Amino acid sequence: MTVESIGTMPNAILHPLGDAALLVKFGNDVGSGANRAAIGFADILKRARLPGVAEIATSLVSVFVGYDPARVSFQVLSGEIRLRLPGTLPALPDMGEPFPIEVEYGGAGGPDFQAVCDALELTPDELIAAHQTGTPRVLSGGFSPGFVYIGPHEANLTVPRRETLREDVPAGSVLFAAGQTAITATRIRTGWNVIGRTDFRNFDLARTPPVTLMPGRIIQFAGGLA
Amino acid sequence: MSAITFSRVSPGSTVQDEGRPGKRVYGAAAGGPMDRGAFLEGGRLLTEKAGSAALELGMLGADFTYAGAGAQMAVSGGDFKILINGQQRGWPGLHQLEDGDRVEITTGQSGLYGYARFDREIDIEPVMGSRSANLMAGLGGGALTAGDRIGFLQASNSPPGDTSGSPWLEGPIRVLPGLHASLLGSRWADLFDADFEITSRFDRMGIRLNDRNGFFAEFDAGSLVSDFVVPGDVQILGDGTPVILMRDHQPTGGYPRVATVISAELDRLAQMRPGTRLQFQPATLAEAQRLARGGAA
Repeated sequence: MTVESIGTMPNAILHPLGDAALLVKFGNDVGSGANRAAIGFADILKRARLPGVAEIATSLVSVFVGYDPARVSFQVLSGEIRLRLPGTLPALPDMGEPFPIEVEYGGAGGPDFQAVCDALELTPDELIAAHQTGTPRVLSGGFSPGFVYIGPHEANLTVPRRETLREDVPAGSVLFAAGQTAITATRIRTGWNVIGRTDFRNFDLARTPPVTLMPGRIIQFAGGLA
Repeated sequence: MSAITFSRVSPGSTVQDEGRPGKRVYGAAAGGPMDRGAFLEGGRLLTEKAGSAALELGMLGADFTYAGAGAQMAVSGGDFKILINGQQRGWPGLHQLEDGDRVEITTGQSGLYGYARFDREIDIEPVMGSRSANLMAGLGGGALTAGDRIGFLQASNSPPGDTSGSPWLEGPIRVLPGLHASLLGSRWADLFDADFEITSRFDRMGIRLNDRNGFFAEFDAGSLVSDFVVPGDVQILGDGTPVILMRDHQPTGGYPRVATVISAELDRLAQMRPGTRLQFQPATLAEAQRLARGGAA
């Protein structure tokens, strides 16, 4: 089942996050419509231009709303936010054409590619074909500059994270776990499987804004074995 | 143009301005000064112009030489000793620097972060609207080291005047329930009897605590979906270690955050040295917001 096929709006829970922000949380599971609800509702809130709101961003299942408590109280802002919760899943904002990402699978840039093939009992060509099937979207950024989660993939492509962390995973690494792909844009440490690399960099300070891929954008993976 | 050259710099020293608020969508926390009140005090001490960025010096301070036309330097934050050409001067205070002056800033009785702010702008190219080093996101100039030379540009800003900051509070550190406070259940109230200690494992990203009574030793949150972090979040690692996430926190995280230190307490917390005993006390959201605006405790 894809995220797009679920029309019911998940319940929203509003939670204060410190004394200058709140979280509108739509669930505990990225596959339940919560991600689609978060991206769509963030767009509704941005267009609402509520007084005192300083920042809106989405995670996998939530909308972050930063506010100035000198201008608006948590109670008033919570009320304004609840008033705007739609009864059905909101349409995703127009994110533009599907974005192609060319991947070199395996090789030195994808040290865990074969292990993922083995875990899924697929040949390398079968895994590449499966990885390039469907219309996964950018689910969220936020972990580090330019880092993006992309999904969902087909349900039979779910592998767990590695038991141990890999240190110094370079920018442009293609990570795979939990039915999702992630692309790094800076050097990080991760427990995800590193299945390949790409020349695409989602974080470039020479660009404005510095990040290209925003939540909701459809991704088209391409490429072959390294 | 004028410049300073460091012959010695404490670990944990960076350039900081007001940071990068509103950039979570790009994967970067706001960052900014660890002791924001002290940073603002430096701006208030200056009388002519104020650079938007300051040197944020770690606990051991720094030695540097100034070259260029006469300049104002405001120092503030924690308790440090300052010598200019071997003569003891005031901390906090406003000092005049002349070409060739040698400044020695060394550790005092308390505090971890000191600020030196000038009547001119630190010559670092702003990145995403800020000159701050963000060590987690890898933005800005990184940590300062001996041998570094920092040039100055003309500052265009007037000193900020009398901006009221948060009061310096006393007693246990005030916290609000965190995003995952409900995982503590009825133990929430017991959190305020537990004893913690600041360890030597701290930086701009977070402070590891020693959980002296093992309050979190058996705490098991299971698997959580990754979500947004705010400064002050008390995060419990898989082995039960509490870590208070500070200004350069990672923007999102998957470990449970059981409590959140209120904004008005972050400066005091940032200045606590390793070995400082720590307890928490509950605050209300209204109280936290009143204190953040400069209200009395």
